[in-house]
Amino acid sequence: MRRGARRRHRRVTGGALLLALPVTAAVVGPLVTPADIPSDGPPYALGGGHPLGTDALGRDVLTLVLRGGASALGVACTAVALAVAVGGLLGLAAAASRSRRLDDLLIRPVELLLPLPSLLVISVVGVGWRGHPVAVALAVAALNVPAVARLLRAAALDAASGPVAEALRLQGESPARILFGHVGRAVLPVAAADAGARVGSAVFTVAAANFLGLGLDPTSPDWGVVIAASREALFVQPWAVCAPTLLLVLFTVGVNLLADGLLAAKAEGKATAWNP
Amino acid sequence: MLRYTLRRCGWTVVQLGALSVIVFLLTDLLPGDAATVDFNEQAGLDQVARLREQMGLDRPLAERFADWAHGLLTGDLGTSLVGGGPVSEVLSSSVGVTAALAAMTILFLVPLAVAVGLLTGLRADSRTDRVISAVTLTLTSVPDFVLALLLVGLFALRLGWLPSTWVGADDVWWQRPELFVLPLTVLLARTVCVLSRQIRAGTITALHAGYTVQARRLGVPPARLLLWHVLPNAAAPGVQELARTGDQLLGGVLVIEAVFAVPGTATALVEAVQNRDVPTVQALTLALAAVACLLNLAADLVGQRLAPRTEVLR
Repeated sequence: MRRGARRRHRRVTGGALLLALPVTAAVVGPLVTPADIPSDGPPYALGGGHPLGTDALGRDVLTLVLRGGASALGVACTAVALAVAVGGLLGLAAAASRSRRLDDLLIRPVELLLPLPSLLVISVVGVGWRGHPVAVALAVAALNVPAVARLLRAAALDAASGPVAEALRLQGESPARILFGHVGRAVLPVAAADAGARVGSAVFTVAAANFLGLGLDPTSPDWGVVIAASREALFVQPWAVCAPTLLLVLFTVGVNLLADGLLAAKAEGKATAWNP
Repeated sequence: MLRYTLRRCGWTVVQLGALSVIVFLLTDLLPGDAATVDFNEQAGLDQVARLREQMGLDRPLAERFADWAHGLLTGDLGTSLVGGGPVSEVLSSSVGVTAALAAMTILFLVPLAVAVGLLTGLRADSRTDRVISAVTLTLTSVPDFVLALLLVGLFALRLGWLPSTWVGADDVWWQRPELFVLPLTVLLARTVCVLSRQIRAGTITALHAGYTVQARRLGVPPARLLLWHVLPNAAAPGVQELARTGDQLLGGVLVIEAVFAVPGTATALVEAVQNRDVPTVQALTLALAAVACLLNLAADLVGQRLAPRTEVLR
């Protein structure tokens, strides 16, 4: 148990460390770089005042990468935050409702959205609204709501039918207190771990849509767009592809490690509860 | 089981109906239509209006939907606004490659994922498990288009072992298995990792469950215990995950087809979206969504068969 706890701890700190670089680039980058990146160098040049070289349009890759993180990560993070808020509310409400009909009424319509292929919806929305970040974020959020609602409903039902909730109910605690005090808290680690995994896949989906040319403008500094635009020059100017890729992968590995550590903590807590 | 199956099938029918409405509305929201795309910039507004009338795009939404739904039920998917041919032709000419890619992926995916998941789950926290888990966690975090670029760079451009594109292999793709190697590798990389992690977690839970401990105490041989008691319970969440992988697979196929220039459904769809060819987009999106829907149905039925207990929960 001790060794497991230490390894889990290492996983969480490792994840946080990996996240540091891409998140810093995304948050600080837009503050220190100009909105209009000048095309002042020869295409695909290495060196010459550009630490990471230039891209096809002669723009500085370092500046591009610093500028593009905000849209690459921001859209996905906003979307997942929105999805967890809406989906969590729906899931908790459905689990707390005593009547089965209300439960069905809340959760069934949401389940209708579940089989919609996510990349297709994003590409339709992306093309339709010319890759407007808000539209893409809303689409990603809408796609994630059903799964979040389902998962949190199941987790909340688990907690609401457990011995602790039973005891609270016998003691005459109010339903609201049981729901937010006990059930909400019990659901929190599940929600956090799920959100972590979801941010990773949302970043992928948005980046993939941009890579396919279905999202943002092809000259935008977004990481997915930059990777797609410079891919022909992988051997001529590797940094134009590798720098945004590296940051993207660092971010998703970090987020997954964090989520994994949180889930392991949850499983361990359960194990100790069952084997006293 | 029968009642569950019937209810689940009925629900799928409702789902498909709702999906068709959603798809229709979503594609209707696309600003600009084929009439504006078809013309160059000199076209006058009245010309565009005339073309729109000719294409039947000026009728009210409900009427167009009724028309479209009626066509769907009678097997007529509509006429492509750009090519002028029937949409079913676009679908049938492109679906073969995509179906072959997806089927081959699933064929390799299931045994690989079960093997890796069981191997790591049975030896949880051993050195093998830690190494494999680290690899799978990292691979799940690499976007498929990045993986595709790296593999093409290494095996196709540097070493020259495998073809990097399907261009030039128009109709004889099924005679050239080497075309499939790189796309399949990319498609498998992430899905195997996601699925095997799920099966690993399921195996660990099932191994520590009360009934397994009891069965072991009663002297059930290890192989039988594993195949009869642990695997079905460990696979139940895995099957659900497999259905969800279907969504990832669709997305993955889209990216793969774009990177390797595969003439499949996804390529046709991306093209149609860019051309605002609404009937084609509608038909292809609905077809892909229906496949996802049926995959979910199959997964639920198989999961129910493997571990028949969810009925008790509300």
